[in-house]
Amino acid sequence: MTPVVKGSDPDMPYDARIDRLPIYALFDLKGPKEALAAWSKDTLEFPNGPSRLKRRGSAALCHIGPNRWLLRDDLQNEAALSETLRPQDAPAEISIVRVSDTQTFFRITGPDALEVMSIGCTLDLHATVFGPDAVSYTEFFGIKALVLRCEGGFECAVEQSFGNMIEDFLTRAMA
Amino acid sequence: MMNIPCPFCGPRNEAEFAFGGPVKPRRPDPNATSDDEWADYLTQVPNPLGPVEERWWHVKGCGTWLSIWRDTRTHDIVEGPGNAD
Ligand SMILES: [Zn+2]
Repeated sequence: MTPVVKGSDPDMPYDARIDRLPIYALFDLKGPKEALAAWSKDTLEFPNGPSRLKRRGSAALCHIGPNRWLLRDDLQNEAALSETLRPQDAPAEISIVRVSDTQTFFRITGPDALEVMSIGCTLDLHATVFGPDAVSYTEFFGIKALVLRCEGGFECAVEQSFGNMIEDFLTRAMA
Repeated sequence: MMNIPCPFCGPRNEAEFAFGGPVKPRRPDPNATSDDEWADYLTQVPNPLGPVEERWWHVKGCGTWLSIWRDTRTHDIVEGPGNAD
């Protein structure tokens, strides 16, 4: 996707920029926090509550549901994470699944990022409610999407087969 | 639209949820109940005019199944009668 940027067309209604991001390394972690922490030999830094994330370097550990976390990192770290988390050897009480290629991420940044997000998302994303460490699955243009904050705006992830559709919706929203 | 309270996520738009039907009464002991009561349990779905306990699935959110009491006349989410089951 060529980034959609306000500057390229002065008639655009929103002062924002949309980027479709390259694939991230993603691991779906399920099970009791203590068991996951022990299995990862305390390499995971857990966020302090539901719908919160903890960043460490390029990694972010998102608490997305009861006994459920999503670990996101740059793709180049995927092999190292696989080595640490050993999904195939995980004990029965936890589950670790590499899901890197299942999600397509978009980044919406700029002064009007919140307005653009609000077109597709009913969640209150105002900074006083949805802070820098907030993360949640919610609805975005009618489909399930992960929403989190990033520098200057938001990132959202949809199931990868919806990637082109969401790209189209976002492009139309900016037109 | 209802604003459904999810125990994990807090209040969320109804559109994020899937309806799971009314909460059925507790399964009677088949050996200690009459045929009529058993047939009622199998075939009758709670459908009151007023508060009804329902299951909802936060399918586009955290995946939690939860129960709420909804008043069928107003769509208001109301207090249930407590733990009197
Ligand atoms: Zn939820």
